[in-house]
Amino acid sequence: MKRFYFFGFLILVAFDTAVQLAFKYAGNHAFPPEANWAWIVRVFGHPWIYIAVIGYIGNFFTWMTLLKHAPIGPAFAVTHLEVVSVMLFSVWLFNEPLTWPRVAGALVIVAGIVCLAFAESGSHPEHDAPTEAKGALGVAAGD
Amino acid sequence: MGPLAVFLWLLNVTLDTIGQLAFKAAAGDPEAGDGIARWKYMASRPWLWVGVISYAAEFLVWIAFLSLVDLSEGVLLGSINIVVIMIGGRILFREKLTPMRVTGILLVTLGVAIVGVAGGG
Repeated sequence: MKRFYFFGFLILVAFDTAVQLAFKYAGNHAFPPEANWAWIVRVFGHPWIYIAVIGYIGNFFTWMTLLKHAPIGPAFAVTHLEVVSVMLFSVWLFNEPLTWPRVAGALVIVAGIVCLAFAESGSHPEHDAPTEAKGALGVAAGD
Repeated sequence: MGPLAVFLWLLNVTLDTIGQLAFKAAAGDPEAGDGIARWKYMASRPWLWVGVISYAAEFLVWIAFLSLVDLSEGVLLGSINIVVIMIGGRILFREKLTPMRVTGILLVTLGVAIVGVAGGG
């Protein structure tokens, strides 16, 4: 289960990051933004927007696979590792400034995810789902 | 922040919460089975589509919201979704909120909020 979570979230964050970076590249290639057909043509005229769409699809299937077992509360929190990865890639690829407040925020996010990983290693995640999900839907009492 | 921005913010939190809880309901259904059959089963049930429709609506609401506030302010306000979804998971799916889990979730929320305040530097 640990391996399932580790690689699952790693793949999810990779897709999330790819989507955001592709959106940024798509926007840059289509610059300047305009409320007209020409802008739409420019957006769809570069491969970046298609990479974003593929990333969205990959993200969806990965997320639905993770949610088969993962509790939604902690899992949704973990997906915010994307904030950190996108920040680091933005510094590298787009020369965005890495200020101290942003670094502090990133470190707090990582600390939170470390806490969630510890919480999971000390519990039995299979007890969270799917029986409880079934109960909540009123199909049958979970426990 | 004007009343329209507040309305769009609350609508975003609501749609995000409904979407994520619906996805969890679809993905965690023990009747769904495994492999391709699982995806077919999920596609035949309402929850997956409730999630997809919520997300499509949220996408537009988020764009409208961001046109009224700064991106950093939007990210800051959006971080509340993490806490609301945690509470939703507790109520609907009886997810255990151990001290370690709550600490982790609150730290991630705080971190996202700090990045929001920090903005683009």
